[in-house]
Amino acid sequence: MLLRLLAAALLAAAIEATTPGAALAQDARRGAELAAQSCVNCHGANGRSQTSDIPSLAGQPTDFITLQMILFREGIRQVPAMNAFAADLPDRDIEDLAAYFASLPPGPPDDRRPRDAGLFAAGQALIGPRNCGVCHVSDFGGRAQIPRIAAQREEFLARTMIEYREGRRVAIDTQMNGAVAGLSNADIAALAHYLAQRD
Amino acid sequence: MTMRRFLLGMGAVLIAAPALAQQPAPVPGWAVGRPEGSTLAPHAPRLTVTPRDQLPVAAIRLPPGFQAEVYAHGMPGVRAIAEGPNGTIFAGTRAIGRIYAITRNPDGTTRTRTIAQGLSQPNGLVMIGDSLYVLAVNRVLRYDNIEANLDNPPAPVDLTAAFALPTEQEHGGNHHWKFATLGPDGRIYTNVGVNCNVCDTDRDKFALLVSFNPDGSDRRIEARGVRNSVGMAHHPVTRELWATNHGRDWVGNDTPNDTLLRVRRSGEDFGFPYCVGSWADPDFNRGRNCSEFSQPAALLGPHTAVLGMRFYTGTMFPEQYRNQIFIARRGSWNRERLSGYDVVVAHLDAQGAVTRIEEFLTGLRDDANQRFLDRPVEIHVLRDGSMLVSGEQMGAVYRITYRR
Repeated sequence: MLLRLLAAALLAAAIEATTPGAALAQDARRGAELAAQSCVNCHGANGRSQTSDIPSLAGQPTDFITLQMILFREGIRQVPAMNAFAADLPDRDIEDLAAYFASLPPGPPDDRRPRDAGLFAAGQALIGPRNCGVCHVSDFGGRAQIPRIAAQREEFLARTMIEYREGRRVAIDTQMNGAVAGLSNADIAALAHYLAQRD
Repeated sequence: MTMRRFLLGMGAVLIAAPALAQQPAPVPGWAVGRPEGSTLAPHAPRLTVTPRDQLPVAAIRLPPGFQAEVYAHGMPGVRAIAEGPNGTIFAGTRAIGRIYAITRNPDGTTRTRTIAQGLSQPNGLVMIGDSLYVLAVNRVLRYDNIEANLDNPPAPVDLTAAFALPTEQEHGGNHHWKFATLGPDGRIYTNVGVNCNVCDTDRDKFALLVSFNPDGSDRRIEARGVRNSVGMAHHPVTRELWATNHGRDWVGNDTPNDTLLRVRRSGEDFGFPYCVGSWADPDFNRGRNCSEFSQPAALLGPHTAVLGMRFYTGTMFPEQYRNQIFIARRGSWNRERLSGYDVVVAHLDAQGAVTRIEEFLTGLRDDANQRFLDRPVEIHVLRDGSMLVSGEQMGAVYRITYRR
């Protein structure tokens, strides 16, 4: 725990050092303190989730984290653990948490499985026709309200795409529901593997 | 499109061709027709509270004699406005799913409450007597005696089945949010937007303006071929229905125009997806002659995202604004340089023809830096003749007054 806090504090300090004089509306250092109390238990000490089916948050765009947290708080996106955590959370806490996780260097989980060349190629072949890079950007690092999906946990990516396909996942808009329409489970498994292997 | 981008696009098509042949690749509705390599995408909303000192009220520019002030703030995503008989201002939203109520304190300041939340895109608000009607995609909810119960809103009466509007799934997630207004005939007027960016669609089900009795009975098609209208009002004298309408995306920075429509008789056809005025859609014209469709009353600029519109019926503003149309342009995303982010006035002659479009509220679009300070969505004329303008991005409602 102490190590985690120390790491978070060092990272927050590093952020401040890179933006001299910037009066940040979003306080990444305060976000680190808030995150240490609960987020890191599931999402990983460095924002890289080591827990199956829980997404990594390191390097996610601040807008994306902020908007998803608001949807959790308002009960529009339903994930019981997150709805409970976000209930009554002030905007400031959400914005500070977002600033903190956005500041962390992204990367794969420690338990990422080795690349399966066939599956990787199958996923790669679907990326262009499905226009994934149009919104998520060509390196899949995301932007603004659109999440980073490179090096995300594979099983989380797969489950999320299935939820979108089946209309069970709600976002601020319905673009992903259209983007994954008609994909087979095998297609989704391939896409998830390809994206999880991207760094 | 530059030749380089064209060649890049062709390359992508060739590479993708085998996969496309095996499997159709649906793309997000708003992205249909997007040129390969374009990075334009809808702007992220802001759904956290913007502190009052960060509101761009000082940047707002108006004609001489007009002033802008903050009427109410701290309402993320604020859009639609309806006023209760006792003066409560109700405001709808989209992504954040809330309905706000704004009341005035004795000292002139305002108080804001959230009276409903967790709704899907509650952007259609109509006040009929003491009842607030909320249209949230296909759901229709009626909150009776709402103004007397702002601290403890009653459970709404659910009219969803009676209205039988298409669901979000039927819309495929496209243009499913509603605008709603009360007609002089006591009917509720609303939009059923098209279920795509551009497509051949069921023209009896989508791309419509429709009206209903307040109990959801007697659906009537008021206009067809209207891609998506998020603003309507009836002329205070002629009682004709007027509406704003969004043009499609991904067919150039300067085509087609968003439009202002004048509906002279119920059921007339404004041409989507075949035409917008005299402009024939390059992909979906289907050999139709654009002159066979009703023509728009005015062109309001490409991709400007025309939203709320109201006739000015007050007496505070100079006489030249009486019964003229104020139109909020929320601002473009599907254009390389920003357009809109303002309020314009459509001036009408005695026959109701639009003679000119005048800029009214500007200053929210920063051309030099290609950024915007807020996004105007709805117009509402208060009983004292001042005007409210909702700013969705900053969660504020601005009040415009005039002093001689």
